[in-house]
Amino acid sequence: MFLRPIGISKEFSRRLATAAAQSPKLTDVLIVGGGPAGLTLAAAIKSSPTLQHLSTTLVDAGDLKGKVASFYDNPPDEYTNRVISLTPPSRSFLQHRAGASLMQDRIQSYDGLYVTDGCSTATLDMERDTMACMIEILNVQSSLLKRLSDLQPDPKAFQLLDKTKVASIEYSDPEDIKSWPIVTLDNGETYKTRLLVGADGFNSPVRKFSKIQSRGWFYNRFGVVATMKLEYPPYKIRGWQRFLPTGPIAHLPLPGENATLVWSTTEPLSKLLTSLPVEQFTALVNAAFVLEDADMKFYYKQLENGTMSTEELIEDVNFRTEQVYDSLQVEELVDEIYPPKVATVLSESRARFPLKLSHADTYCGERIALVGDAAHTTHPLAGQGLNMGQGDVEALVDALERATSRGSDIGSLLSLEPFWAERYPINNMLLGIVDKLHKIYSTDFAPVVALRSAGVNIINNFPPVKNLIKGILGESGK
Amino acid sequence: MLSRSGIARSFSSLNSSIVGRKFCGISRRHKSTSASQDEIGHFQELAPSWWDVHGSQRILHLMNNCRMDFIQRVLHQRVKITNPDTYIPGFNYKEFFPEHVSQNISRELSLEVDAKIQAQKLQVLDIGCGGGILSESLARLPFIEHVTGIDLTKECVEVARNHALRDPSLENKVDYELKALEDVEDKFDVVTCLEMLEHVEAPSEILRHAWLKLKPNGVLFVSTINRDFVSWFTTIFMGEQVLNIVPRGTHHLEKYIKATEITNWFKTHEPFTHQVAETKGLMYLPLKGWVEHDCSDIGNYIMAIKKLDK
Repeated sequence: MFLRPIGISKEFSRRLATAAAQSPKLTDVLIVGGGPAGLTLAAAIKSSPTLQHLSTTLVDAGDLKGKVASFYDNPPDEYTNRVISLTPPSRSFLQHRAGASLMQDRIQSYDGLYVTDGCSTATLDMERDTMACMIEILNVQSSLLKRLSDLQPDPKAFQLLDKTKVASIEYSDPEDIKSWPIVTLDNGETYKTRLLVGADGFNSPVRKFSKIQSRGWFYNRFGVVATMKLEYPPYKIRGWQRFLPTGPIAHLPLPGENATLVWSTTEPLSKLLTSLPVEQFTALVNAAFVLEDADMKFYYKQLENGTMSTEELIEDVNFRTEQVYDSLQVEELVDEIYPPKVATVLSESRARFPLKLSHADTYCGERIALVGDAAHTTHPLAGQGLNMGQGDVEALVDALERATSRGSDIGSLLSLEPFWAERYPINNMLLGIVDKLHKIYSTDFAPVVALRSAGVNIINNFPPVKNLIKGILGESGK
Repeated sequence: MLSRSGIARSFSSLNSSIVGRKFCGISRRHKSTSASQDEIGHFQELAPSWWDVHGSQRILHLMNNCRMDFIQRVLHQRVKITNPDTYIPGFNYKEFFPEHVSQNISRELSLEVDAKIQAQKLQVLDIGCGGGILSESLARLPFIEHVTGIDLTKECVEVARNHALRDPSLENKVDYELKALEDVEDKFDVVTCLEMLEHVEAPSEILRHAWLKLKPNGVLFVSTINRDFVSWFTTIFMGEQVLNIVPRGTHHLEKYIKATEITNWFKTHEPFTHQVAETKGLMYLPLKGWVEHDCSDIGNYIMAIKKLDK
């Protein structure tokens, strides 16, 4: 028992000794995290005539060069489960300034969002041509990796270190926060960097090092995602979202008869949903868009207790759904107000993750910049998370370009300030809107339901406000 | 603070202008381009906080962004595109062509200009470099080979030297010397004299020597403050006394120089060898930072003067 810690510390001190022996390599920008935000930043720097001379290093723990990059040349037949909504400005930034050629045949753009309330008949029907598009995160990442390898940058000017973790970060002069940070990697290498960018997600080590506070809370909700096969292609290509008291369920289009699901719900239900047999899960998804909350509660209870067989469930859901369809005055309305029925769900594609809100007090310090989830996380109900990250990267690239043409030190706070001054208010507004929506809809308390339904009905019939909302959703608040 | 009669007096005594000050400067000191002990002492006190962008020099750091935009623009406009394959529209193409076409044109033009300018490798002299804010910025530009910064305050030169050591990319690109202008021997492609003429005894001597250090086709950048009521109100009354964003005692109204006095000096002394390339007024807007404007006769201004090849 006592030997192990000693062994570790010996190995660790030896590693430190070798790291200290070789002097750190110098780099202008060190990006921690190879998610969409980090890779977009690297590609945008290398594609910008003003910035491409900056030596750039990207560190990621995952297998980017192997697993992620191979997605571009050998995509799987089925769609993967991490799918996000990309707004036109984000897409344009990715394609034009980061230079990524996305895999067009795996992208589905959609023309609006049909939002309903699980506790009332209130409806918000937002139509807007190419409001946004659904795209797999792997499509974004692998297209960016392809771009970076096509650029064939000089190995001194760009380095991609995957399967590598950051072991520690410290200032080269501990007394001086303007000194260049030294990043030690778990392969023993050390880098001294002019600018350290944290694109390293919610638990950002870079943010912890910078001592920038992040505030927020967990929603006590989990998002369940899955890739779905529909019975027939949709009649209108749009997203469907229904606010259930447990959280919103969203059905978003992918090419052909494919669709993706984001179902936000309580923790116990998220466990149940991911552990049920696929047939039962499929029936529940179909039920959730049509039936009432009482029916859903009944099914959850029966399935938890194991008192309902798959056949019974499917039969009951079909029966009740038909009943609702029959109650409609015009038969064609079925396709108008309900999403196409789900035939099956890809079993391996189900996954769940906790939902939270967080926002860092600032996105930059001397020699530090935070982008994407390292700076803010949001509830997925408005599909803004990745777009906010793209907006951050664009503003950071703009700030770096301006600072470079003015000969400023790109790591100095003076150069970085415009980046967060531009992004913080927009992100704060989006986080706030999404948070309030979640709160207004996470209850079935009758007066609140009545108020929110009245509000939605007014908005639905009042184009100026509706257009404003469509604009925010389609442009990430730009 | 200046009283109203004080302003009136200093305005009436301006006839002596810069030439008058030149003579009194020479009579007291052996170097015509030196500064008074008061000025040197003032900058000695400021030296330690020179690079604190949230401290007393913040306004100067912000101004530097604006000055660099001006310098970049003037140096870029100097470049002539000679490649016959590059299409140069002879009209305001951005208004008439579709967006993607005009974007392509401006991208091609800027790539062409960048390529030409990168090949230049300019030598720069920064007179009155202080803690090196401008010298460092210039030294980081890819088309500038070397910057020499000179100043008369020992502490500032030390601050500048130490600060340059922090950035490895500045190695061999910038040097600072404690030296009077007239002791500089080399000639340069660009000479800058920003925010310094209002701190010297004999500004016309500085102009004369700065001009001598300039190679033919070189550019001299000068920025200072017009001697008028607006300047007193903004730089001394508001800046130093009310808002406290400029260290007290930095400015003296009687040392300010009107933009026309500089152009007249050149007309008198270098009538056929100079060309004023561009003159802009600079103004600080509290929420926006420094902005350029076209009234160079009021407040702060910056000027680019080209030495013609004769």
